[in-house]
Amino acid sequence: MAGTGSRGRVERRSAGALESEVLATLWATDRPLTPAEIQAEIDGGLAYNTVHTILKRLFDKGLVLRDADGRRGAYRPAKNAAELTAEAMHEALDRGPDPIAALQQFVTGLSPEEERALRELLAGGGA
Amino acid sequence: MRFDVYTSLLLSLLLSFVAPVIVGRVAPALAARVLTSAAVVTAAATTWSLVLLVAALLGDAPPVVREAREDGHRLVDPVPEVIGVAAGVALAVVVWRVHRAVHAERCTRRALRRLCAGQPADTELIVAASDVPQAFAIPGRPGRILVTSAMLSALEPGERRVLLAHERAHLAHRHGPLVTAATLAAAANPLLAPVRSAVVFLVERWADEQAAAAVGDRRATARALARAALTAGRARSACALNFTDRAVTRRIAALQASPPPHLWSAAAAVLTLGMLPALLAADATGDLLGLLSGVLT
Repeated sequence: MAGTGSRGRVERRSAGALESEVLATLWATDRPLTPAEIQAEIDGGLAYNTVHTILKRLFDKGLVLRDADGRRGAYRPAKNAAELTAEAMHEALDRGPDPIAALQQFVTGLSPEEERALRELLAGGGA
Repeated sequence: MRFDVYTSLLLSLLLSFVAPVIVGRVAPALAARVLTSAAVVTAAATTWSLVLLVAALLGDAPPVVREAREDGHRLVDPVPEVIGVAAGVALAVVVWRVHRAVHAERCTRRALRRLCAGQPADTELIVAASDVPQAFAIPGRPGRILVTSAMLSALEPGERRVLLAHERAHLAHRHGPLVTAATLAAAANPLLAPVRSAVVFLVERWADEQAAAAVGDRRATARALARAALTAGRARSACALNFTDRAVTRRIAALQASPPPHLWSAAAAVLTLGMLPALLAADATGDLLGLLSGVLT
């Protein structure tokens, strides 16, 4: 565990990880994005060609749509499979406390004063 | 001769007191590993001790006693009948609790596998189009990361990378099986429940440290956690449960400090504490075998 606080020591990301990052970027944005826009959004110094290759792979898997909303060369995520996944997820979460507890969620609940402290942290750092 | 079962229970309690002290003072990867190992060995030892107590009770069973008297053996009764019966009841409860825990684990696995159905084979990230901010790792081959669209759009680009790195660390370091092991240990020995809680918290801390190393920025990692917690908190306020174990706040505070050291001495102490009940159980097994062979031959 090399937990140094120094900036810039960024891991070399694998192809799978880059794919995840591009897909996450598309999902996080409301409108379709061109490869150049994605490249600008991901501040990891990715080459344009790399972004293009990743997008092609995602397209081949049916995870993204091309020329979305009449914008040539722009991509947006495919919704159908994701909606089915959401349904299955809610079904699993509704079934009871056991699955939820075991899902290892990224974050858990907050008290009001904790919430205040976290807001201050985000405001203080210039979000 | 005596059966040292009670000392094992005391040692379980001691391990449960030590666990929260270790959290935060020892590097989470090391602490999670040694606490889980100690808990598993301790739980196995206390369960085996119950088996011994019940076996000693069987040694009092009329046919054995009659046979022993006929052979002219003097009977030494190491375990009062009341305690033997109580151990039998406790053993039944343990078996039921472990069975229930295994069942819950299976259900979770099945539910998670269902979430991966229909996904392309070599894709790491699964997005769920949901308004509920959620993110979790799905262990398996390959391991997957499920994040909802609500969580992705709430985070900034750098924060999304932290989230992915955190979940990736859960998968790469097999945190799922580690937590399962601690859960089963706590099911077999309820005194170890605090150790399980410690391990659950420690794997999150471990993944945080890995994420911080991957993005090369502890502060950015802390901010990603804060934003995710605020997003998830807002969505969940409708539940009005207001329950919180301050886990996120503690994780953020830990990221704002320097990473805890690999305190090998503390790790060795925890492991020793975990091994002692096993030694006692082995000793008691020898005693019982000696007794039974003395009676039966």
